[in-house]
Formats: sequence, structure tokens, C-alpha cells
Amino acid sequence: MTEKFEQIHSSGDFFELLKRSGHYPQQALSGIPKNKALEIPQGTTVLAFHYEDGIIVAGDRRATAGNAIMYDRCDKVIPIDDYSLMAIAGVPATAFEMARVLSHNFEYYRRSQLRAMSTEGKVRALSKLLKDNVAMALQGVGGVSPLFAIYDTQQDRAFLYFYDMLGAEFQILTHVATGSGSPMIKGVLEHENLWGTSPLGERSEQEAASLSIRLLQTAAQFDSATGQARPEDKIYPIIAKITKDGYQFISDDEMVDIYKSSMSRS
Amino acid sequence: MFEEPFRWMEAISTRHSYVREKLGKGQPVIGVPYNEGAVIIGFSPQPGKIFEIYDRIALGGLGHPADVERLRMILLDMAHAEGFNRSAEDVTIGRLLQFGLAPALKQNFEEIQRAPYLIQMLLAEISHEGTAEFFRVNYDGYWEKFKQGTVISGDNKVSERIQKNIEDTNFVALTLNKSIQSALHIWEEGRKKPKLEEEPDSSTEANDEVDDEMEGYPTDLKDAFERWNLEVAVLNNNTGRKCLYRLLSASEISALQSEVI
Repeated sequence: MTEKFEQIHSSGDFFELLKRSGHYPQQALSGIPKNKALEIPQGTTVLAFHYEDGIIVAGDRRATAGNAIMYDRCDKVIPIDDYSLMAIAGVPATAFEMARVLSHNFEYYRRSQLRAMSTEGKVRALSKLLKDNVAMALQGVGGVSPLFAIYDTQQDRAFLYFYDMLGAEFQILTHVATGSGSPMIKGVLEHENLWGTSPLGERSEQEAASLSIRLLQTAAQFDSATGQARPEDKIYPIIAKITKDGYQFISDDEMVDIYKSSMSRS
Repeated sequence: MFEEPFRWMEAISTRHSYVREKLGKGQPVIGVPYNEGAVIIGFSPQPGKIFEIYDRIALGGLGHPADVERLRMILLDMAHAEGFNRSAEDVTIGRLLQFGLAPALKQNFEEIQRAPYLIQMLLAEISHEGTAEFFRVNYDGYWEKFKQGTVISGDNKVSERIQKNIEDTNFVALTLNKSIQSALHIWEEGRKKPKLEEEPDSSTEANDEVDDEMEGYPTDLKDAFERWNLEVAVLNNNTGRKCLYRLLSASEISALQSEVI
């Protein structure tokens, strides 16, 4: 635990601290044949879209390995700091590690530099992690394709980004979905945005949460790797919002009511 | 030069005197609990007295700014490396001090060829059971733990007065606002020279010396608010968030100013 006492570091770079203490995330494995590059099954559905107060981020709960369902209570929407959320699709081991590195990175920067990292800095930090992981992704053992939602308190607006496995970031102004179930719902999102009762960006939190649940149920209908809600076992999708007040998850108790009302035709 | 034990002890003693003299004008930093967590307050001519270290840990420092900064970075590095490799629950002030900072500070202090750290530190933590704990760390690595709150100050007499007042106040029962106000009044009390009747043997001359030490410095809250910066950091255990630390904003500080003056 004791670090070298005499060193003074003020860059606020957590990656550097990890490297210095010998804990930088593992690089490419050797001896693994290159196969099925970028054909990793991303057994999941996560989605995010702008609504009137900020961004809503939602994900199903299922984790799979091939045909096997490994886990039905997986949290795929992860808070990184008070003003950012990451939704993960891809290999969980790598994704959770990235979230942990990122979380410490932002907090370490804020505490050491006495100011929050800029939105662009946060976006680039995740991109850097994905780029460092390219070899693992290409070997087919560590691909991750995340969504990243940030509320910028300086500019007083929310930003949403989608990343590919190689680390390219794409800013999303309306809606996005990723994971194996996403193709089933991307069209629905677009349809809702263009011809629904109102554009997604003008919808209330209630409407946005309700749409998210319906979309995830739809994805689960067509994609075996996306888990449906199971009220009898108290398994509901994870839904979080990010607004000027930071992130907030919809609690299990609230989900019971939202799920019930969303599942009826209205 | 230092082969003889006496020489070494003399050198250490000189070092103590040197550091104490340098810290003499260090302004008090007070850490006290309140009903939902802990609060640290401090006035200073320049901002940069109170800092966040980790999710549930805050630091107040006085002394040479470069030394405060160096030790702050060491604490930050240790806390973040530990929190990342194990868990946030494994990052506690007790561990950071006992296995990290304190032995290194002591070693540095006793290696008399090296410049000593000119610092005093106050650390506050909300334990995972939800109670506020306070730690005072001296420049030579000596540290103490306090439940009711504590203070650091360059002037030992001021420290003693403030510490007594802290222990006479039931801060745990107070709201955040009341707790800050009480701490500010205690800060103000700490600046007043002791009454003559409390020290019957002390001469008028001796009391004048205390005054001299305070000369040119704000002596009451009104003066301090006008000339210096007040920093107030809160560790609130009831936010539902991982990070409990928050600095009071400029508007909250001015609201506080109108309430206490």
C-alpha cells in the first residue's frame, strides 16, 4: 500500500498511477489464435436516448455464454461518477474493469486537480481504454462496445456517445442501442422519434422509462440473449437517468409500477 | 557530527523548534461532526486549506503549501491505488496513516539531513457504520484519533482552547447549519486571549504577547469574513451517493456570513 514517498505527481492521470504501481489493465494475451475477429456474441441489449430532462439509459439483465444463460441479474448500466453513466455490451470482464478504471480515473482527476474533468476529456478517456483493448477485441476475448452518457454542468446539457470496439466515439443526438438485441429495436426507436406521439427529446421521464421497458421486452422477444423482465422473481430492467442533478436509478419499487403500466396498451 | 547520541537529540530538538516556529502562524482548521456526517472549516488568506481525499475522507491542512500539496498527493495516490485494487471499503484513514503516511513522516523527520515537512493535518472520515471520525497528524508522524471533533492550529494555546470548546459542544446532535455556526463561534473564541482570572499568575506583559501574535490577523468573524476566505467542506452520509464530499458554494458561504455576524 505504501507508495514511494518522495514522488510528487500532479498530472491527475490515474492511468499513470496504475502503471507506476504495476496494476495497468492486462494487455493482449499471447498464444491465442486469431479467430472470429469481431464476431463476438454481444448477448445483451442496452439503449439510451435524449428525453426532456437529459438522457435515459436502460439495459436488460441477462448475461450469456454461447447458448447458456449465465446470469439474470446483471447490472449493465454502471455509474462512473456523479455525472456520467456507462452502459455495456460485450465481454463483461473487460467492461466492468473498464468501468472501474474510468470511475477511478475521473475521481482521481477531480480530487487531484481540484476541478472536474471536461466532457471531452471523459469521452477520450473511455476511447483510450477501448483502443488499448483492441488486441483483446481482435482476438475475440475482450470486445466491448459501450454507450456513455454525461451531463456537462458547465454547458448545462447532456451528451450521449456510442463507441465501437476499436475506440471510435460517435456523438448521438437522438437515440442509440447496442448489443445483440439492438437491431430489433433501432427501427422502433427511429419510428417513435419521427412519428410517435412526440419526439423522444420532448418526452417526460415517465414516458421515456415506459418506452425503455417496452423496447427491452421487444428485444427480448426476438433475441434469446436479451432477458425479459420477470416480475415474479423481481427481475426488472435497469433504467437510469442522467440530468443536471447527476445520475439516478429508478428504484425496484418504482419499477414495479412502471412495468405494470407499461405492459398494458395505452 | 551526529555520531554522539546527544548531538542527534540536540539536532532533533532544534528541528522541533524550527518546525514549530514555522508553523506558529498556521490558522486553525476545525473538524466536527453533525447529525448527518462531518464538517471541516477553516479561514485563510489564500484558498486551499481543505481537500477531498477519497469517497468518505476529507483533509484539512496547514503549513507550507508545497508540503501540504505533496502529502495530499501521497494520500490521494495511496487511497486510489488501494480502492482500485481492493475496494473503497478498504480505504480508511487508519490504514492510510498507520501503514503509509505516519511511518514515512517520522522517518523523514528524523533524517536530519533532509528538510522536514512543515505541516499539520486534520483528516475526517465517515466510517462505513456511519459515524464521523477525526484524526490529527503532526509533522513528525504522530497521530491521534478523536470522536467528538478536533482542531489543528499553529499555536498550541489556541488549539487547546478550541479543542476544549469542541468537547463541550454536542455537535452530533446539531444540524449542518447549526454545527457550522457553532464551529465558527468556537473559531472566534479561539482568537480571544485567555481572561486574566483564568491565569492568575500571568502578567499583563504575557497577555500582550498573545496579542502581538495575532497582530494584523482578523480577530473576529466579521473581520475574517471580510478579509479572508472561509472554506467549508461537508461529508454527508445521507446523499445516497458514493462520494460524500462537498464544498460549500460561494452563495452558501455568504448566506452563512449573514447568519453568524
